[in-house]
Amino acid sequence: MPRARVIRDMKARATVASTEVVRQAFRYLTHNTTLPAKVRAQAQLQLNAFPRDARPTAIHNRCLETGRGRGVLRAFRLCRFQFRLKALEGELPGIKKATW
Amino acid sequence: MSAAASSTIATKLEVLNRISCAIFGNLYNPQRIRTGNKILRQRLVGPAINSYYPNVRPINLREITNMAPELNLIDQAEKARLDDIAERKKRGKGPPKKGHGRRSTNKKK
Repeated sequence: MPRARVIRDMKARATVASTEVVRQAFRYLTHNTTLPAKVRAQAQLQLNAFPRDARPTAIHNRCLETGRGRGVLRAFRLCRFQFRLKALEGELPGIKKATW
Repeated sequence: MSAAASSTIATKLEVLNRISCAIFGNLYNPQRIRTGNKILRQRLVGPAINSYYPNVRPINLREITNMAPELNLIDQAEKARLDDIAERKKRGKGPPKKGHGRRSTNKKK
């Protein structure tokens, strides 16, 4: 069972994915200065009415192993310590410890 | 260079810009009005964002028992809880009957 923070992040990701198209449409309306001010203001209100998780900024990459939210290497989706452990175990193809 | 010559160059550049927009199918927007087209040009990131975590759901015993009741699987935690309640009831530590709780006895006094 993943950690609570990870579950929260999963939920946010699902919300972002499901509301993205409609949000972008409203964002287009608000950014278009050729439209009447009333339409743009209403689109802004609609954007504010979305849940907090609908914004892509609500998403935070987390470690797949530990759920740690900081020091996560994007390419491996692992935090730095799990990356080190797995690299030393040889579970990450092509990664090897450097010495010089 | 005189002012007249530079202004002709400016108008020529504008004409060039208009023609090039017509040829390449771009929006001719000499005042640079904000049309919000940059929002429409953005890619949708939803599928990429949603596939960050591997799609694994934790196993739920209740789902299995609902699917296959003939297996007679026992939820150990639930069984322990019910056994504990039965044990407490045997010792007279069960819940009071309706009308015999702390509140109702207080009211009578």
